Amino acid sequence: MTLIEVFPPSFYFVLGALILLIFQNKKIRNLILLVTPIVAVWHIFSLPLGELLEVDLFGFQLELMRIDKLSRIFGVIFCLAAFLGNLYAAHLKDTIQQVASLLYSGAAIGAVFAGDLITLFIYWEATAIASVFLIWARGTEGAYYAGMRYLIIQIGSGLLLLCGVLLVFRETGSIEFNKMTLNSIGTLLIFLSFGVKCAFPLLHNWLQDSYPAATVTGTVILSAFTTKLAVYALARGFPGTEILVYIGVIMTLFPIFFAEIENDLRRVLAYSLNNQLGFMVVGIGIGTELSLNGTVSHAFAHILYKALLFMAVGAVLFRTGTCKASELGGIYRTMPRTAIFCLIGAASISAFPLFSGFVTKSLILDATAKEHYTVIWAALIFASAGVLSHSGIKIPYFTFFGQDSGLRPKEAPVHMQIAMGITAILCILIGIMPSILYPWLPYPVEFIPYTTNHVISQLQLLFFALLAFTVIMKLGLHPKDKRSINLDTDWVYRKLIPSVSKHIYVLISPQLNKIINGLVVFKSIIVRNLVKYYGPGGHLSKIWPTGTMVLWVAILLLASLSLSFIT
Amino acid sequence: MSDNKNKSAEFSFLGGMMNKLDNGNSMKVSLIFLAIVCLILFICDFTYKKYGHYHIEELQGFYGLCGFVIFSFIIFSVKFLKLLINRPENFYSSKAIDHETYPESQIEKVDHDSN
Repeated sequence: MTLIEVFPPSFYFVLGALILLIFQNKKIRNLILLVTPIVAVWHIFSLPLGELLEVDLFGFQLELMRIDKLSRIFGVIFCLAAFLGNLYAAHLKDTIQQVASLLYSGAAIGAVFAGDLITLFIYWEATAIASVFLIWARGTEGAYYAGMRYLIIQIGSGLLLLCGVLLVFRETGSIEFNKMTLNSIGTLLIFLSFGVKCAFPLLHNWLQDSYPAATVTGTVILSAFTTKLAVYALARGFPGTEILVYIGVIMTLFPIFFAEIENDLRRVLAYSLNNQLGFMVVGIGIGTELSLNGTVSHAFAHILYKALLFMAVGAVLFRTGTCKASELGGIYRTMPRTAIFCLIGAASISAFPLFSGFVTKSLILDATAKEHYTVIWAALIFASAGVLSHSGIKIPYFTFFGQDSGLRPKEAPVHMQIAMGITAILCILIGIMPSILYPWLPYPVEFIPYTTNHVISQLQLLFFALLAFTVIMKLGLHPKDKRSINLDTDWVYRKLIPSVSKHIYVLISPQLNKIINGLVVFKSIIVRNLVKYYGPGGHLSKIWPTGTMVLWVAILLLASLSLSFIT
Repeated sequence: MSDNKNKSAEFSFLGGMMNKLDNGNSMKVSLIFLAIVCLILFICDFTYKKYGHYHIEELQGFYGLCGFVIFSFIIFSVKFLKLLINRPENFYSSKAIDHETYPESQIEKVDHDSN
């Protein structure tokens, strides 16, 4: 194969970012931002499956282009997400955000095609570094600190990966990125590294802390890559690892409750993202062909409907300056198209028949029941109704409908509407024609989502939940949204640890001062004696320096000999 | 809210159409509509042979009951959770975005009737 044939798709994004720096013209820049993912996806489709590009680096064989059915579908959806995100952000004139966006998506694409752990590590860290600029671009103090916290956690995940890779290499002599088992510290560290990026329970809060802190467009782009890269990495490295079933089910459950009481709608979506990741992680943990197909197809559909929801809420933020549920409501009158796009995203994530979530989530649920995980299956049914509560109802209702806030913002800019429109069409297309997605999944699919039984059951679950919501609203029992925040695990490192450290410092500072003062006195004694013996006129300064050195070498030698004789 | 703000003629065709549907009775109408749909869906359960991985799935109205109960449980349980974890917006002081306003330079706040 020629060099151009095996040119890694991620390099197109690096190239695009470099070209972007040269041109100042907005139209040319937008053209580059949109053409780059199109060229990359065309290139991915034109390549055969296999290991296409090996590079020798410091004695390691790096595999930059492993294309199989698993990596290809993630590569394709990442390109699609990059295109839609860049189209949505076409109003931007901010070079930093545009370059960061291209490098971030390129790094994520590079990572999915990585055939070895070192290449994976390099791209893994690149996603962390590139993406933080989408948070910092907001330019406020809060965003700066949120970005720092995000960067520390993401880089930490990379360091865990590096330590794991080194240990695995020491044990096995291989850096290949294939299926692993949790039988060594090395693989455990790699697993943990993937877990941080995948927002496992207790490691999750970077997601809800940082995504709402990013810019309007930054959050849309962030939502597509980091966590889904982790899902890919888990699907590649740890399929069938049973603990993932239990981790995943916790992920589906706890965010439901946090999302329901959250006032910041982009944070609600971040919790909802966490919940959807849980379904994917369960699928990986089960590890059958059906469940892995479910995970991959759900990741594909999820990137689209989650981006659509972030786009809709982002458009509202762009036009009103807020995305707080307590300050919004009734704006469907002047933003009707955005409201409809949001409803399509909400229907997709809630898994209404004819929308994408219905045909992808059911693969995971079916696999769970088939493998007799009864409690897990019941928990996933619970989580499915829970998704409706925060993403299916809360987001569209409290943003566009509900109590009239009196805000009458203009409809979203045209480019945003086009991006939302394309994404909405894709959500519906996958929903009504799953056969266009199924052939691209890692394994053959023998699953028929549209059966009377399945459709009626799902409609019952959703419509009865909607009925419950309407009754609760009618009775005035729904919790009121007010300007507030909710504590989560980030409280530990944002409040508890700084507060405890401060108290400890206050407690030990008198003793610490005494020690420091003692050290200062000790230092002055040393200096005084050195001056006395080695200063002008000192006894030892009269001796030739070489003589002094020889004397000390002799003393050290004697000490060393004595020690070795004793031991 | 003044009535002037809700005149359908002032909105786009789509916005106006949606606004017409949203009168004072919309909640009541939604409730009746949903109750009818739920009833139809429940009756549908008797018209075909139900199957599933578990016997409980074959009960008529099982998923409907699940949807109603789970949703109600979530809404009522979060009220208690809110008492435990809800804090004022400035809880994390200046190191958080929560009490900040979004930078005006990065957005285009425009009213729908402005040119």
